[in-house]
Amino acid sequence: MAQQKAITVNNLIKKVTTQEGELTILNGISMDVKSGESVAILGPSGSGKSTLLGLLAALDSPSSGEIYLDGSALHGLDEEGKAALRKQKVSFIFQSFMLVDTLSALENVMLPAELAGIANAKQKAEAMLDRVGLSHRLTHLPNQLSGGEQQRVAIARAFICEPKVLFADEPTGNLDGANSQRVADMLFELNRESDTTLVLVTHDLQLAKRCQRQLMMNSGVLTEALATENSDPVDAKEAS
Amino acid sequence: MEARLAWRLFKRELSQGQLLLIILAITLAVMSVTGLARVSDRLQIAINGQASKFIAADRIINSPVEIDPQILVQAKELGLQQVSSMQFNSMAYANDEFQLITVRAVAQGYPLKGTIELDTGPARGLPELGSIWYETRLGGILSYPESLELGNSEFTLTREIARLPDAGFNPFASSPVVLMRIEDVAKTGIIQPGSRVTYLYQFAGDSAVLKQFENQVKPLLNNSQRWVDVQSGDSPIAEAVKRAERFLLLASLLGIALACAAIGIAAQRYCQRHFDVVAMLKTFGASRKQIRILFGLHLLLVTLLGVVFGIIAGLALDAVITSYLPESIAAYGAPLARPVLLGVATGLISAFMFSAYPLLRLLAIPPLRVLQRQLEGLQFGMWLHLLLSLAAMALLGYLYSNSIALTMTVVAGVLLLGVLLSLFGFALIRAGHSVGMKTTNPFQLALAGLRRRARQNAIQLVGFSAALVLLLTIIALRQDLLNEWQKQLPEQSPNYFLVNIAPDEAAPLNDYFAKHDVKATDIYPVIRGRLTQINGETLISSEQSRNGDPGRVGISRELNLTWRNSLPENNEIVAGEFNLDDYDVSVESEVAERLELQLGDTLTYMIDNQELTVTVKSFRAVHWETLQPNFFMIFSEKALAPFAYTSMASFHLPESKRHLIIELIQDFPTVSIIDVGAMVAQLRQIIDQVSLSLTLVLVLVLAASSLVLVAQTEAGMATRQRELAVLRTFGASGSLLRWSTGLEFALLGAIAGFMAVVVAEFTLYLLKTQVFELNVYMHWPWWALAPIAGAIIVAALGTWRCRALLQQSCSQLLKARA
Repeated sequence: MAQQKAITVNNLIKKVTTQEGELTILNGISMDVKSGESVAILGPSGSGKSTLLGLLAALDSPSSGEIYLDGSALHGLDEEGKAALRKQKVSFIFQSFMLVDTLSALENVMLPAELAGIANAKQKAEAMLDRVGLSHRLTHLPNQLSGGEQQRVAIARAFICEPKVLFADEPTGNLDGANSQRVADMLFELNRESDTTLVLVTHDLQLAKRCQRQLMMNSGVLTEALATENSDPVDAKEAS
Repeated sequence: MEARLAWRLFKRELSQGQLLLIILAITLAVMSVTGLARVSDRLQIAINGQASKFIAADRIINSPVEIDPQILVQAKELGLQQVSSMQFNSMAYANDEFQLITVRAVAQGYPLKGTIELDTGPARGLPELGSIWYETRLGGILSYPESLELGNSEFTLTREIARLPDAGFNPFASSPVVLMRIEDVAKTGIIQPGSRVTYLYQFAGDSAVLKQFENQVKPLLNNSQRWVDVQSGDSPIAEAVKRAERFLLLASLLGIALACAAIGIAAQRYCQRHFDVVAMLKTFGASRKQIRILFGLHLLLVTLLGVVFGIIAGLALDAVITSYLPESIAAYGAPLARPVLLGVATGLISAFMFSAYPLLRLLAIPPLRVLQRQLEGLQFGMWLHLLLSLAAMALLGYLYSNSIALTMTVVAGVLLLGVLLSLFGFALIRAGHSVGMKTTNPFQLALAGLRRRARQNAIQLVGFSAALVLLLTIIALRQDLLNEWQKQLPEQSPNYFLVNIAPDEAAPLNDYFAKHDVKATDIYPVIRGRLTQINGETLISSEQSRNGDPGRVGISRELNLTWRNSLPENNEIVAGEFNLDDYDVSVESEVAERLELQLGDTLTYMIDNQELTVTVKSFRAVHWETLQPNFFMIFSEKALAPFAYTSMASFHLPESKRHLIIELIQDFPTVSIIDVGAMVAQLRQIIDQVSLSLTLVLVLVLAASSLVLVAQTEAGMATRQRELAVLRTFGASGSLLRWSTGLEFALLGAIAGFMAVVVAEFTLYLLKTQVFELNVYMHWPWWALAPIAGAIIVAALGTWRCRALLQQSCSQLLKARA
């Protein structure tokens, strides 16, 4: 049986109007991501990686083109529809962690579960924090945690609702080597265990290589990077 | 779920001090309103209570004929206390001598307010039937008789009256007063159809009921009947009370406006801090409704806490102030419901209406902000914010003052101020455009900083200036009002009047005053006369006018006339010149207006059965509240001196020289002495109470201003942090940054101070001419002091707020930004 597609994108175009005129950020992107697959999107700054991530995650609307997320057409949804879809199917990890600085680690992890109306949010959050090795930090506030610990809280928060697709924007971008490694290990381990589709935007080649597929974004055009074990994913062909 | 989340966020943010500013702002607004309303209610009741003693009642109907008995039934039905009395002049006979006296015939229950002062102290009850209490000087005039004939009856003289509570203040009332029971009037047979009698109906009771009674009865009164209350201008303190009331109301409105501004700024900051939280919540799928409920509840919790604190603080404030008030005022209870309800309404309305705009922006934050931090979603027009803020202010102002006119004046003022300041501030800051950005000179760096943050600074300027404007306005008004009252009742204001001074006694009397070092006014000759013609046209009475006579209405009573060569103290010429040499007269301006006089008109008087015609040379404004002889008409000496006259004067006798009075009576036995010391003391007490309330208002406004200043410096901290990080990275030294930050705030404060003076002078001009009727003058020292004080205060606050940022290292600053 053919593997189900988690994300399908057809001829996606995103344009913005600036003082200098209209600017095309994404220029006819088409791609598929299979369910349970992990995909890294690489590319220089300003190439349109984050814009694509925002569109795939139903945070933004394209100028034209189609996006299907776990079978649902995003391009036909209004803001409320997109919010409902995100609540059911999507989760996030951000470079700057995006924890609520007035809530404790436990309360931060509980937040999406409570929004989704999950009954035993607290127990689930405690279990998630235990899985990321922070059971001793439940009541700590974000500013009482190290960067690595904060990102682990964010990972626990991302997985608590068992999302179909997890979007990560430079998840190790703010971390040093050791912490970066540990967070990445944790991310891929949880991803594997929960069979979540992972779409990851990064500059970090090592991190990208741990994904099953690497895509390269350049000036709004997405290509499949041909990565080998020991080479950089520089050779590319059109993504499909 | 949303409720739980809102509660959790509230609890955490509260314990971490994040909500301090907004709660403090709401608390202050509620405290100002609750505390001020209760204290001013209390003072108002006390002042009115004290003032009521001057008219021996809360309200009086004064009528030349008996009023419709139905009105008295109405008063009774409403539960008001009521007492009737009559006043008329009559000849009394005793010891073979006749004397014109003023008879005050009162019913049981008189006086409703205050007490009758006898020579032996406060009286209990009234004269027995068949007996009379008499004014001390009558005894002297009639050689202390035991009884007195009045009309067909003879009355026993039992007690000497020192003062009737509603004797009013009329040193010209030359005939002595006697007090008798109204039941005895009929048997004198004096009152016949057509007799000149004044019927006085005095009422007392709850102010709301009195208001209701007034609304019912006032329309029923005809032109000859007058409705009198403590503020009708009949009592000497009316003007003081009126001005104080207006001041309290205005200051409270300005206080509310300030506290609202603080809430507005704090709410903006509160919402900005939650931008990321909302973006994050939306990213995780929170619906618009969930966000709305979550932050609505969160804000409600914040508001409720502020309201509870505010009411407690307001009542505590009232309790503290009451404990400092004299017992006589503290004893007046004030209702609790109005201040508390006003406080709650203020908290809810101001928090929600001032937060509405920032909250709308907060709800419109797009989830994409999690990836693109600069996104702030929909930018609603500032006009919406302005509209909502003004609506909130208008609503609160109206709730508080019940006066649309005053509310709209304040709102219009605030609007104008806001627009002017924004434009002016923006222009001023843009003018610094040419300044380069060198990172070596703190002054240039400060100027560059001002320029870069032009828009934000323009808004901050509005806040700083508004706080300073209100502060300056309140300080100036309070000072002017106090000075005005002090001027009316200086320490040495006269406490005795002398009347019936014979012409040959004037010089010895002046010598006597000089010898004993007693401060006295000039001695004024007094001649009684009636105005009969204007420009040759014979005048008619107001009664004739009512009966359809088309003639010109004059003054239907005798006037006290005087002559002088110089303008008396506390008189001001408003038209013409006070230069009376020929047959000239100077007329009091309000009478002149009523008689529709022009300069150059000729007035004809009937004095001692002789006609005297004079020309109007000037109009004068007279301060009637001053305890000195005051006159409607002042003539040239040439015109009036040929007539027979007696004179009057007033003087101040300190307590230590009281014994001189006996000496004075012995030395000048025919001169009548009127003691107004008790009244002066009472007046002074009222003025002290009012002054206290003004000081209190000043303190509250000061607190509100400080909060606005603090809240303003709080705004824009994030951008500042980013800039400091960049400057630090490029090698700017700590002291350079400290100096440039301090200088930037100082410049902002100086500009705010300057604009505040301009606007405050303008506002004061409007207030003094339109509301308070005070003299307008410029406060020149302010023009230097306000910018300096503004610079120092704002610089101190700004560097204090930035001190943590300024102490951080470059990496700390950058890390905090990440």
